[in-house]
Amino acid sequence: MIAVSLPSSVIIEGAILGLNYGLLAVGLVLIYRTNRVINFAQGQLGVVAAVFMVKLYYDFGINYWAALVAALAVAAGAGALSELVLRRLFNRPRVMVMVATIGLSQVLYLLTLLPFIRPKQLFRAFPVPVDWSFRIGTFIFPPGEVITLIAAPIVALGLAAFIRFSPWGLAMRASAENSESARLSGVWVRRTSTVAWTLAGALSAFTAILASPSQTSTLTEVLSPGLLLLALLAALIGGMISLPVAFAAGIGVGIIQDLLQWNITNSAAVELVLFLLLQLALIVRAASLQKGTRTAERTSWTTGTLAFRQTGQGLRKRVGTSGVVLTVVVAALLPLVLSVDRTFLMSQICIYAVIALSLTVLTGWAGQVSLGQFGLVAVGADITAHLGTGVPLLALLLLAGVATAVVSVLVGLTALRIRGLYLAVSTLGFALFMQTSVLATSCWNVPILHRQICSGLPDPESTLISRPSLFGLGLTSERAFAWFSLAVLIVSILMVRLWRDRGIARRLISVRDNEVAAGSAGIPVIRTKLMAFALSGFIAGYAGVCLAFATERFSTDTFDPTFSLLVVSMVVIGGLDSIPGAVLGALYLVGLPAIFGSTLSIQILTSGLGLMAFILYLPGGMAQVLHQLGDLATAWVEHLRGRGRPGRDTGPDPSPEQVTEAEPGAVAEVGS
Amino acid sequence: MNDTADADNDADNDADNDPDNDGKKTGPARLEIRDLVVSFGGLHAVDRVSASVEPGTIVGLIGPNGSGKTTLLDAVSGIVAPTEGSILLDGDDLGDYLPEERSALGIVRSFQDCRLYPELSVQDTLLLYEDATRQVSVLSTTLQLPWARRTERDKRRAVDRVIASFGLERFRHHLTGHLSTGTRRVVDLASIVLAGPRLLLLDEPTAGIAQREAEAFIPLLQRLQEVTTSTILLVEHDVPLVFELCSTVIVMQTGTVVVSGSPDVVRQDPLALAAYLGASDAALNVTGPTRRT
Repeated sequence: MIAVSLPSSVIIEGAILGLNYGLLAVGLVLIYRTNRVINFAQGQLGVVAAVFMVKLYYDFGINYWAALVAALAVAAGAGALSELVLRRLFNRPRVMVMVATIGLSQVLYLLTLLPFIRPKQLFRAFPVPVDWSFRIGTFIFPPGEVITLIAAPIVALGLAAFIRFSPWGLAMRASAENSESARLSGVWVRRTSTVAWTLAGALSAFTAILASPSQTSTLTEVLSPGLLLLALLAALIGGMISLPVAFAAGIGVGIIQDLLQWNITNSAAVELVLFLLLQLALIVRAASLQKGTRTAERTSWTTGTLAFRQTGQGLRKRVGTSGVVLTVVVAALLPLVLSVDRTFLMSQICIYAVIALSLTVLTGWAGQVSLGQFGLVAVGADITAHLGTGVPLLALLLLAGVATAVVSVLVGLTALRIRGLYLAVSTLGFALFMQTSVLATSCWNVPILHRQICSGLPDPESTLISRPSLFGLGLTSERAFAWFSLAVLIVSILMVRLWRDRGIARRLISVRDNEVAAGSAGIPVIRTKLMAFALSGFIAGYAGVCLAFATERFSTDTFDPTFSLLVVSMVVIGGLDSIPGAVLGALYLVGLPAIFGSTLSIQILTSGLGLMAFILYLPGGMAQVLHQLGDLATAWVEHLRGRGRPGRDTGPDPSPEQVTEAEPGAVAEVGS
Repeated sequence: MNDTADADNDADNDADNDPDNDGKKTGPARLEIRDLVVSFGGLHAVDRVSASVEPGTIVGLIGPNGSGKTTLLDAVSGIVAPTEGSILLDGDDLGDYLPEERSALGIVRSFQDCRLYPELSVQDTLLLYEDATRQVSVLSTTLQLPWARRTERDKRRAVDRVIASFGLERFRHHLTGHLSTGTRRVVDLASIVLAGPRLLLLDEPTAGIAQREAEAFIPLLQRLQEVTTSTILLVEHDVPLVFELCSTVIVMQTGTVVVSGSPDVVRQDPLALAAYLGASDAALNVTGPTRRT
């Protein structure tokens, strides 16, 4: 069945592709070495420059080389500027910085839409300085690819020489290992970091400019998670440290990918092989990767966001409860007054909030960073596509939840070996694999058993399902479905609250905060970690069922990994470990864009810029704002009461004042 | 529904309400270490150490930095795996037991850094030790089955008692990450009482505590041993405190035991003095009396 062939033209084609991955990987390693951050904006930094170069070349008629220099300068400047913005985050949890770079990449995308950067005509060939080309067999390599073949190694070598022979290279490594020590020994940590980002920006511009000629339109080149993942794979093979290995690995990944595509017609199988390769690289590399970063990962979770979780006593609590009751009543009445479109939107917000809750459990409490939550949602939706209305709705919800929990635990098994940002890469790979491989293939032929396994969507392009009924009531109308979604959200919130208050959350947090101590205290560490994945998967699974029924018609694109990134953004801006935060995050990121239309200003506000503003200025997220609003409302009510009945004392609870200090000697009284 | 691993606990958990009543051994444990070697790469952090700790005693482990004291405790609590040799609790080889399984046998460990769990409140931190002995599955928590509610209530009651007796009421809802080191140590001790150890491993309990507070530790640790009826293995830099408190003192240097015996024997031993103090016994007597005023 498989006759492997290795034509040299395919290998060279793959190498050219791989050179781009390699340059991208080098940029990722550069930033990682300096700031211990996976820079999701690495590709987008350069795309802005490439688009700007087209503008200069065609609209202003500037000579190629001058335009190139200008574009590189823009990208380097963008890199330095990004560093200035992100700088204040560098001692915050890594996941937050990572989400901030996701926001940054969205902001950079929006920049390409601005009139002074966006070229007048979009579909013109990307400028190339020379017209060299050559052919192998029937395969012609156009000038753009020839330039890549020549220029990419030169750029990489130049960068390697700079890192190797200038003092900056050592300074970058020193500041990554221990930024405080590095500062004390005279390294200008901040300036070093700025230099790294400037270089990364210029490098990214090179990447985009070299890669662009083979694309038809520059603007379509929003860096896909798939491309980034391949670059990450190369960077990981280089241990996130070695620039030359990362570059070479990038070329290797490109060649492997092209050869696979040449030999295997089934693209899903190619994705499967690449996914396995990624997992292998992660697991093999895990030990060496975590040696240096262990302390960084450990301290990175102390966010202080839990500090305001404890709602106070008496009046404050009553104000909180009334707020919740009021919200629920209003939400329940909304479908009666909203238009059909808006009612559908309400269902969507509710379902996204449930998905965000699943991440609150996994990332907020257990500290496992997952960028693949939509991969799990896809499992639930896939089960729905197969079983549809054949199974009673409640049974289907439970079944999908349990099945997804099992899948989630399997994904979580890698988390026993790898953690933090590497887990993020692994789960992103999982989400992509679910979309492009599992869902996209209706039926697999299993080679040895000679049987078919039909696990994918029945029709990957457009699967149509009809909505079910619950207790004999049809959910076909948008209004009924909105109520159903709201009910699912409320039940989910109640369940997660139980987990938070009755002993589940404290176990997850203990393992996150201090794994060694938790183990010694008798908390089964491995089981607790997997439990977090199971709980999160359970919620994501039944949310998948709801999402499938809500959209009614869906394709593999419904489960694009970018939605996973969206959910992570929700949880981060809502408040990483807060239950209301998950709901607020969904409301903000799904609700606002839909309600106010997709004008540019709203896009900027809701996507990248809003995201970054939240991370920069409100570390506790929207939950923090909500809590402060609650405090204000309480003060206001107290004020009103005080005016009405002046004699009434609503002062603080006196009991905390009775005990002045914890005395070690007090143990002497223990014993009964 | 989603946690099959926990499901087997459901059945027998009613009986677990009384932790002393499930066939577990009680009372102080006997620890025996035989020819223990722990290596990191080529370095023997612990090199052929044999020692035994008799039930109900307090044994002190002293030695200069890097002599392998903490590594020895790590090996006993299962955090590092021994390269050679064995560790026996009441004659049973601990072998491949995971840390959490050793905890179930009654080995309780306090850590030198006493970091605890920065984002857990004091109450939740203490409840954690109750969770370890009385596990409730996710399913029964989610469904709020009667016994799950009862168990949680009992746990909170037990924690309330400890919080009251340690004077931690004021800090109940504070995150441990926001507490001072001294208060965190108190929380740590409170959790030890809750854990009910049979063998207690203490790693420098007075580190980061003011001298005057450290003095309070002598009666405190004696009392702790009585309350929990445990055997205590104590790593400590405060030599006078160790001599005052322990019935046996083990002196370690570069991974090996230099000398072990009663405080009086060790105090006179020239090897021990050379190993630990690197000076005359004058140093012992200088710090000794001043801190016992």
